[in-house]
Amino acid sequence: MVYKIIELSDLNLEDRRFHFTLNQADRRLLHSVKEIGVVQPVIITCRQNRPVLVDGWRRVEAARASGLEELPALEMAENTDDLAVFLLAFFENYGQRSFSLAEKSMALRKFYEFRLNPVEIIERLLPLLELSPERRMLDLMLELSFLDERFLEIIHRRDWKPVTVELLLGFPPAERTWLFLVIEKLTHNQQREVIENFYSLRRKTGKSLEELAEADELSGPVSRLLRGEIAAADRLLVALKEANSPLLSGLQRKIESEVKALNLPEKIRLNYDRTLEKPTLHLSLEAGSVKELKEALQSLVMSLENQKWNRLFRLLGYEGE
Amino acid sequence: MGRLQIKKVWVDREVESAGLTRRLLDRLAGRPVEIVDNVETVKRAIRLQSDPVGESKKNLFITTQKSFLRPCPCTPGCLGCGYWTIDLDLNCPFDCSYCILQDYLDCQPLTVAVNREQLGLELEAFFKERMAGIIRIGTGELADSLALDELTENSSFLIETFRGQDRFWLELKSKAGLSPALLQMVPANNVVLSWSLNPAAVIKSEEKGTAGLEERLMAATEAVGHGYRVGFHFDPILHYPGWHQDYERVVESIFRSIPVETISWISLGSLRFPPGLLPLARRRFPGSRIFEHELTRSSDGKYRYPRPLRQWLYKQLAGMFIEFGAEDRLYLCMESVEVWREFKEKIKRGRRKLTFPFPWQC
Ligand code: SF4
Repeated sequence: MVYKIIELSDLNLEDRRFHFTLNQADRRLLHSVKEIGVVQPVIITCRQNRPVLVDGWRRVEAARASGLEELPALEMAENTDDLAVFLLAFFENYGQRSFSLAEKSMALRKFYEFRLNPVEIIERLLPLLELSPERRMLDLMLELSFLDERFLEIIHRRDWKPVTVELLLGFPPAERTWLFLVIEKLTHNQQREVIENFYSLRRKTGKSLEELAEADELSGPVSRLLRGEIAAADRLLVALKEANSPLLSGLQRKIESEVKALNLPEKIRLNYDRTLEKPTLHLSLEAGSVKELKEALQSLVMSLENQKWNRLFRLLGYEGE
Repeated sequence: MGRLQIKKVWVDREVESAGLTRRLLDRLAGRPVEIVDNVETVKRAIRLQSDPVGESKKNLFITTQKSFLRPCPCTPGCLGCGYWTIDLDLNCPFDCSYCILQDYLDCQPLTVAVNREQLGLELEAFFKERMAGIIRIGTGELADSLALDELTENSSFLIETFRGQDRFWLELKSKAGLSPALLQMVPANNVVLSWSLNPAAVIKSEEKGTAGLEERLMAATEAVGHGYRVGFHFDPILHYPGWHQDYERVVESIFRSIPVETISWISLGSLRFPPGLLPLARRRFPGSRIFEHELTRSSDGKYRYPRPLRQWLYKQLAGMFIEFGAEDRLYLCMESVEVWREFKEKIKRGRRKLTFPFPWQC
């Protein structure tokens, strides 16, 4: 490689054939470039007589934002084929940080398009990327890489796992776009749970996402999320879980209302296994003295006359459809 | 062998010239054969296909097994039944949507072990070592006991090995028809041929490649006619609109041709599976809706129907069996102590002592 100083304006940044990273120049990098310029050379090569960027996208972004006109570069020979150039771009980054799933998918697609043998991609690169070395994983990653870059960025930022991606790709393209609008600003766990629940509901009912979202309990939180109100995420998740789990949510609601109706003193707390696998109650008492303990126990014993306790235990041990 | 869709046979170099290998290859004549150093080569070829699970069922690997016998692990938090398993074949040519082997076996091809004499020795030692109680042993945990029997005739070998060992009950559990070899043998008192049953519509939609309900019941009837004891497994029980009527029909059809005294046991277990199966099964069986039912994660990490529903399913099924006086043949598979306790009270209520020789019923 040849070291040179290049004019930023000469770089053909439209040619993104070697681009597969999604991190953007952050404040610290911008600050550092403003102070001392770009010290570590970017890597370039020539295509159609113009320099194209191989590695150093964040540095170039920071340089442009800082108004730099020139920057140091290492130039790879023009006759190096795309695959060899990309291997360098890939491994240059590989040693420095781990990639998000979106970036992995973009990198794998480049390898595929630069005609690296699929068997080699599966057996050599997938394990390097901590993905299972199977054909179907490569297929999944290639399918992911075809998503709009806006969506890839969301997947990148929230560090999605393959299982969530697979669910997402199970929706028709128009529904994916709608889903992204709903979940864009949520945390990764919230995104995953919303997708999982919508996926299951969709398969169960055969309805489209928009049809599902018209249901009374879902329409409110969905419209709020579409307006950017992320606080509605919890409400949406509760509604989705209730729709997918009517038996347990119905029982839980009844149990909670019986517990409330018992009207126990604050220092006595009741708890139970929300999955109802164990049909038992857990009681805890708070007391700072023997007197307080006696009082708590007495009020508990007195409350046992209340029929509500029986109803509570019947609900916990309920068996039925 | 008509139903077997073996695309290719792989032979472990170590057993290339073993007598059983040669016999298997004769029976599989016409298929491409490749000699390999180990299973990894086969797994590698399978991984490169877009449906590795489906592919694993079409590639047969002839090899040895290091050891065969192990206690059934059951599942954490559940009441075990003291079962032992023999891993003679691995994987299964059938393709049930809910089969946990899809997730568990990790591209393991359909595998046949030819070092049966070692299994014979292991069993001999086991029979001597285990001094007390009755022990059930089966080959149906990592495979279907009879799916490959026309090819391997493992059933004949096993029945002969178990003959006379009255404290050790061999179970051959299957979703296939009856293999002809079994009808050529003298049945042994401690051998139970068992079939997993589900309503015909479930078999059609969820148990690809298996024998239909009628064929399984016919096989059981023939087995009884020949003098075998039989068993049935309602596992996984599936809940869907109209399930009750469907299962009632299955239960009734058992007792139309099979006397209750010839049935050694009937297990009940509802749909359950490890989380890894979910994406896999949804991908492989896009038409199946069984995974979209209301499910909960239990303490062992598996997905199951919620406990209230499971209990209700078992109660309904027990009711169906009580009508035929078969309640003392019932047990639950992989269920929690709480569910077991409730169930046992129900089937015991006002009836004679349960006598089946399982440890928890003593
Ligand atoms: S028959 Fe049993 S082992 Fe075979 S695919 Fe079905 S569940 Fe799995």
